[in-house]
This record gives sequence, C-alpha cells and structure tokens, in this order.
Amino acid sequence: MTTAAIIIAVAAFALGALLALLTIPILVWLERRVAGLVQDRLGPNRTNIGGFRLGGVVQSFADVVKLLLKEEYYPSHIKNARWLFMLAPIITFVAALLAFMAIPFADTLVINGESLRISPLPIDFGVFWYMAISSIGVLGVIFGGWLSHNKYSLLGAARAGSMVVSYELPLGLSILAFIITYNTIDFNAMVQWQSGTFFGFLPSWGILVQPLASIILIVALFAETNRNPFTVAEGESEIVAGFMTEYTAMKFAMYFMGEYVAMNTASAVIITMVFGGYQIPWVSTQILLENFSVFALLLMILIPIIVMVLIRWMRKNNTVRPSVSTDGGRNFETKVLTFTLVGMTLFIEAILFYLVFLDENFLANALAVTLFQIVVFVVKLMLFNIFFILIRWTVPRFRYDQVQKIGWYYLLPLALANIILTAIVVIGVSL
Amino acid sequence: MSQNMREGSITSDRIKVTTRHGNSFKDKLYLPAIYDGVKVTFKHLFKNLNNINEIDTMRYPEEQPQDISSRYRGLHRLTHRADDSIACVACFMCSTACPAKCIFIEATTREDGKDEKMPASFFIDTLECVFCGYCVEACPCDAIRMDTGIFALTGNKREDFVMNKEQLLSYKGAFGEECSCARD
Repeated sequence: MTTAAIIIAVAAFALGALLALLTIPILVWLERRVAGLVQDRLGPNRTNIGGFRLGGVVQSFADVVKLLLKEEYYPSHIKNARWLFMLAPIITFVAALLAFMAIPFADTLVINGESLRISPLPIDFGVFWYMAISSIGVLGVIFGGWLSHNKYSLLGAARAGSMVVSYELPLGLSILAFIITYNTIDFNAMVQWQSGTFFGFLPSWGILVQPLASIILIVALFAETNRNPFTVAEGESEIVAGFMTEYTAMKFAMYFMGEYVAMNTASAVIITMVFGGYQIPWVSTQILLENFSVFALLLMILIPIIVMVLIRWMRKNNTVRPSVSTDGGRNFETKVLTFTLVGMTLFIEAILFYLVFLDENFLANALAVTLFQIVVFVVKLMLFNIFFILIRWTVPRFRYDQVQKIGWYYLLPLALANIILTAIVVIGVSL
Repeated sequence: MSQNMREGSITSDRIKVTTRHGNSFKDKLYLPAIYDGVKVTFKHLFKNLNNINEIDTMRYPEEQPQDISSRYRGLHRLTHRADDSIACVACFMCSTACPAKCIFIEATTREDGKDEKMPASFFIDTLECVFCGYCVEACPCDAIRMDTGIFALTGNKREDFVMNKEQLLSYKGAFGEECSCARD
C-alpha cells in the first residue's frame, strides 16, 4: 500500500464516521425544527454557547448532557447481567453505523494508476454488506424487548421482528431488480451506471429507470427504519415506547441515536441506488475531469451566488421582531457567520483560480472533483433526510394490520412482478 | 340511513347520502394522497423558512401577553376596604366553595369595631388551586379577587407557592378596581 492509499483510506474512514455520527445531533435538531416550521411553530432555537445559537443546533448537545446525567435505571430482575441489558442498544447502534460504511462518498480516485475507493469500507460487494448488516439491527431490538421482561417491550420487539420478516422481502426483491438493471452489487458501480443517460436526454437515475422498484425500496426502507408512517414497534398510543420502555439515560440514547443513524443510512442507500449518489445529473466523473476548467469556472460563479443568497437569508431571519428589546447576540452571530462564510468563499475561489489558471496538475483536479462529489453527496443526504422528516410530519400512522397488509399484499407481489418485468426487458435489450 | 330517519319529521328527499371515499384506485394507491400532504407541509415549511418572524408564536420571556382581560383569572388577592382595612370577614364561604380544598383560614375576633370577625391567617396553596374562580363567586364581601393579572407564578420550593395573608393583601388589582366593592 502506498502512502496515498493509506491517507485516502484514513480520510474516507474519518469522513464516514463523521457523516454517520455528527449527523445524529443535527438530525435530531432538524427533526424538531422542521416539525416546528411545518406546524407554524418555532422549535428549539434558544440554546446557545456565548450567544452562538446556529439556529438552535446547540440544543442537541444540551440534550446529550441531560441524557448522560440521568439516573441509571435497571429493572430489578436484571441483577448482575447488566452488560446484557446494555448490549441490546449497542447492537442496534453498531449495526446501523456499520451498514453506513459501505456507501461511496465520491467516485474512485486514481492516483498514479492506483484506484482508491472513497468509502470507509473499500469493498465491491456493498449491497450485500448493507443487506446483511442492516438486518442485524433488529436483533438488538428483539433482544432488548425480551430482556426487559415487560409486556409492552415484548410486544414492541415482536412487532419489530414481524416488520423485518414482512419488509425485508420486498426490500430485498426491489434491490434485486436494481442488481439486475445495474448488473452489479457494487454501490460505486451502481452510481457510475446512473451517470449515463437514457432515451438520450433523461439522466438514468434509478427513480426514472426503475420507478416501481424505487418506490418499493423507499417504502420498505421507511418501514425498516421504523419511521412514520410505520412506527409500529414503538407506537406511543398503543404500547408506550415499545422495546424502549424500560430503557433510560444513555441506554435509551443509544437506541435513539441508532434510529437516526439508521435513517441516515437508509437515506444514503436510497440516494446511492435511486438518486444518482454523489453525481449531479447528466455529468459523469469523466466529463468533470475532462472539462475541469469549465466546471471550475462555473463553480467560481455559482458559489458566491449561493453564499450571497445564504447570507441574505441569514441577515433577514437571524433577527428578532421589532417588539422584542434584546436580540440575544443574534446581530453579533450574524456578523461573525457572514465574515466566516465570505472568508471561506474567498478561500475556495482562490484555490479554484489557482487550479484553473496557474497549475495544470491532474491529481489536484481529481482531488477537487472528489471533494465536489463529497459535497454533492452530503447535500443530497441532508435533503433526503429532510424528506424523511417531512413525511413523518405529514402522514398519519398505519395500524399494525394495515402495515402487514401493505407489506404482504401489495409490496411483495409488486416487487416480484417487477423483477420478472425487469428480467424480460434486460434480456430483450441484450438480445 | 336509519340514523337520519330517527328524527321522524325528515322527509326522504332531505336525506343526505354521503359517498364513501377511499375505494377508488387513486385512493388505494395512497401515493397521490401523500403527495398532496407533502405539498401542504412543504408550503408551510418554506413560508416559515422564508420569514421566521412571521410565525405567530409569542417569544415569551421577551414578549409578554397583551391580551389579558379583566375577566382573566390570575393569582388571587385579598382586597381592602376604602379605609384600607381588610375586607375579609372570615366567613369561610370561599374555603367551603373551593373544589381543590386549598384555602386555609383561621378566624379571630376583629378589634377595630368594623366587623365581628377577621382572618388571623389566610393561606392559599396555589399548587393545589385549580383557578376555577369559585372562591371569588362565593365571597359575599368582594374580599377575594383574581384580578391581579399575574399568570406565571415562580418559586424555588413548594413553600414559596403557599400564599399567606400578607402576600395576598399586598397584590394590587391590575384593572383599576382597587378596593372591595361590597360596602362603603
């Protein structure tokens, strides 16, 4: 292994860990903030460190401190097998975290003829890895529910188990349709396939090539991650908190965070398989590399415009009403953030300027393209996470039997039919 | 149909037959409904993102409610007569009417010759109080009122919320009427 390979591997791993773990507090805050805005409320916006609120994202860190300081409670029958009780949420959390690690954040980087994957786990069987690891997560749920020795917990665990049985099937079958279409089980190759076009003008994203399988995949992943409208395992109105009923403090937080990591992972998988991963439509990595100066110049024009809009939005909205006497340091925060944003923009502009006009280094161009793809991936990831959150605050819950009915009566036959259709089309095209 | 027929006078041409929704293919597909729902939530999200100060939430500690009317049942107070002596005659009407049993009165002889009785001590446990206003209704002397306009009572321990006679007498009415209106 060369030095470059080691650096890239470590950087990709750090990026993966960061993307999976740092998004948890952001997602928790985003959920509450989006819920507030959708319902014409404000959501948490007060917590600050020295006047810096960042829209209230500091709230999540305050919540972590709160959860850390909560009483450690164990049901009396647990006795000295506490580590078993603690293991259950850890299984769920780790499974969701590991499943995220197979996602490519950018296209394969070629340094001195050596292909380096920008993915925490540089494997070429990512889909199998995801399918295998993500299904382990429910074991932690069943484990915790059984161990709690509480009827609500047991019911929740049983429901979670039955959900996996009924939704893993359509999920697997819809993924199978994608495997047939893309002819690969490598996430990165799937994204590369999607960078082409079909019918000459449409980007060949999974949602356009395989609309039915895409919808089944998205619905099944909503069910897999226990998000609304499929919150049967922890239906508050029926079984208190389901499998989490007996869990407190950090043990509860582990389940809670595991849920958000699972949601993040599901978003990443959906983006990678259906929405073109780290690519922007119509533009493949090859085109980006060949026309680097055009692309860089476009970026140099676009970035200041985006930052300008952002700053204008911030200056308008990071204020208080005229009737409120104190602004709690918002003016100062806006100034500092504006300064930071402008500085960052100038820095990026300088780098792009250097790359376009002063230096003809192919490696630097490739690195710039990789960074750009990572940014595109993160933006898409956050957009899809917001979609997850919006669906939660839009659609009412399904009853338990309705959930099972959708899974078995509609999704499963549709997924099977779709596989047959896909196979016929694929064979017909290849003849 | 039978529900509508129950009120015998309704004639058959006035019976409203509602169509049952949810059986068409579009409804069963469920996705168009989700699309419609997401459209609504998106609209609210973007509207509020675009102008967050338009949201009709009161920024509470900085913005105080301006719509507290004279009929608002805030914290209790004991009124004075015109000559600044206590209006209460310790008749126990309020503590009898109280559904939460949170008024504790101890009566004593009144020495200033204005009445026979007055409260020696008068406690209201505001943690027990349900702010129903029955004590105000029951009082024959207009001696207890809930017109202080105080809606947020704070304290560091439970004892802080038990109001004694001196505290209750010290609150002022927020809506102009200062003294007891019962007698001169």
